[in-house]
Amino acid sequence: MSDTVNDAMGPTLLERRGAIRQLEGHVTGCAIARDSQQVAFVTAEGDVVLADRADWGRGDAWTVQTVHDGAILAVAPDAAPTGFLTGGDDNTLRRMAADGSVSDLVRGRRWIEHVTTWCDDKGKGGVIAFASGRQVELRDAGGHGTLKVLEHPSTVSGIVFDAKGKRIAASHYNGASMWFVQAKVDTVRPLEWKGSHIGIAIHPGGEALVTSMQESELHGWRLSDGHNMRMSGYPSKVQSMAFTRNGKWLVTSGADTIVMWPFFGGGPMGKPPAEAGGIPGVMCTRVACHPVHDIVAAGFADGSVLMADTGAQRILPVCMGGGEAVSALAFSPDGCALAFGTEDGRASVVDLSAR
Amino acid sequence: MSDTAQAAPDAAAQNALVPVTVLTGFLGAGKTTLLNHILTAQHGRKYAVVVNEFGELGVDNDLVVDADEEVFEMNNGCICCTVRGDLIRILGNLMKRRAKFDGIIVETTGLADPAPVAQTFFVDEDVRGRTRLDAVVTVVDAYNVIQTLEESPEAVNQIAFADVIILNKTDLVDEAGLEAIEKRIRSINAVARLHRARRGDVKLSDVLDQGGFDLQRALEHAPHFLEDTSHSHEADVTSLSYEVEEPLDAAKFQAWIGAVLQEQGADILRAKGILNYAGEDQRFAFQAVHMMADGGFIGPWKEGEPRASRLVFIGRNLNRPQLRRGFESCRAK
Repeated sequence: MSDTVNDAMGPTLLERRGAIRQLEGHVTGCAIARDSQQVAFVTAEGDVVLADRADWGRGDAWTVQTVHDGAILAVAPDAAPTGFLTGGDDNTLRRMAADGSVSDLVRGRRWIEHVTTWCDDKGKGGVIAFASGRQVELRDAGGHGTLKVLEHPSTVSGIVFDAKGKRIAASHYNGASMWFVQAKVDTVRPLEWKGSHIGIAIHPGGEALVTSMQESELHGWRLSDGHNMRMSGYPSKVQSMAFTRNGKWLVTSGADTIVMWPFFGGGPMGKPPAEAGGIPGVMCTRVACHPVHDIVAAGFADGSVLMADTGAQRILPVCMGGGEAVSALAFSPDGCALAFGTEDGRASVVDLSAR
Repeated sequence: MSDTAQAAPDAAAQNALVPVTVLTGFLGAGKTTLLNHILTAQHGRKYAVVVNEFGELGVDNDLVVDADEEVFEMNNGCICCTVRGDLIRILGNLMKRRAKFDGIIVETTGLADPAPVAQTFFVDEDVRGRTRLDAVVTVVDAYNVIQTLEESPEAVNQIAFADVIILNKTDLVDEAGLEAIEKRIRSINAVARLHRARRGDVKLSDVLDQGGFDLQRALEHAPHFLEDTSHSHEADVTSLSYEVEEPLDAAKFQAWIGAVLQEQGADILRAKGILNYAGEDQRFAFQAVHMMADGGFIGPWKEGEPRASRLVFIGRNLNRPQLRRGFESCRAK
């Protein structure tokens, strides 16, 4: 499968402009700092690996530090320009500064499975959100002041801020809940749909909220009027989804091609999804959208990574398969780096900047 | 990049599935005592344990996860298909560090219906791809069980679902009483392996690594069962067993069992079978929980072993002659 693709191409992008580091344990996530100067990989062994921009081409220069006593389940860039937040099955939320120093933000009683942050273009107004059991807690950018604790009817499976940081939405059983971040009195906007919702994404223009479902399909709500949308036809569960920067496409995993639902011209209702390339018989497991250009990146179950142009449908192989599934994938905010990790512990950074 | 790396062969992949033991039992039956016994025994193995309340487990060697039982209905057209969503999530995360333990034990609350736990192993692709349901172990309090069975349909379901039943607190009941209890248990579930215990003091080999659905092994432990045709009134949970000596037509069987489960899945708690398909050298193992079914080849017949197909249903309102005729109609021509 992947070998035939490999034979047809020259050296991959990873070979020409990237570096790999073999880690111990499953890479459970990766994130890139808001200033785009540092990549963090996190593993199921509790390790955080930091790669400074100057070392993106030298995997052996990356630092490895054990931060959690157990698996790291979530990672996000800090609300500040530098540093990261990590949540683990040791029930803690920790902050790792750019210099590698670690501090505790939360020591709770449940796994911290989801972490996300928001701040405005000037780096102001930062908010931290994390989910633990049925609760989503919002904290100020300092990380120690609790703004509010939002209760949900069942365990939260995903959280997302809208693009302006005004609202936060959480997926759970039988739907999703939206809350205003700054409200004095917390009133939930319940978005109901029976079943188990296992992930969440929000349109960058605030037009729609989409969840992934246990039954290998997506559910969406048009936020203007609550109209329901259903996007189905996947052979497996959608583990990863992302809107393109302009909100035209919702890009998802869950098939052996990159699936893209149109959010324009009346879509996605009544419109078939587009397919932006793939690997026959190999499931796409992770997707990410470029922050500047109309480019998506996708990771596959055999460890392959490729990039595709949403318009012209050109495909650029980044890394060939031959290992376990891609389990983490992210672009840097400036679009100059693509980072990815796999279940068998390979962590990679590819430098996409102009040379 | 290692383009030369190859996918593991299927057999190795099967062995790589982490065994999951589900521990059920009514309140006060002795689940926690049994769990402590398992975890503190010197077996050189490590277990990840999913419990509903921390506290009484005296172990720090093993990984203990606190869970809320979150059951939801699948939107897949099966009216009775309920699944433990929390388990999908927790097992998914545990499997990211599978090298850290040899098996997983899931303890349910006393009143829990075992169906959602069992169905989770059929429904979710990731759970299926990385774990296998080794056995449902039900702990029964010998002193109270007869009364509990009268009062609680959940207790009947827990026995019906069991692959292994631990009859605990046997020191509180005399031998005649125990025999009556075992007879009552057998009337519900004739294929489960039944072991007596006092304070959860069972042999680990009776509880762990049961290989779940090996019906032949189950039948070895209950040889009287096939001949036993007496059964109580039909609304009660009972076990029905069938045997066909001639090879079966695989397509016919699949069509028939599919229709049976579709129509009567709500009443069929479990179905299990070892099947002899025409033209196949290997035994085919079949299992179902309500409407969810699964099956696969499990290796060749043993030398000198009769190649008969055996099928067991455990459930309510089962029509014995109708199911027999249906099963017999699956013979290959």
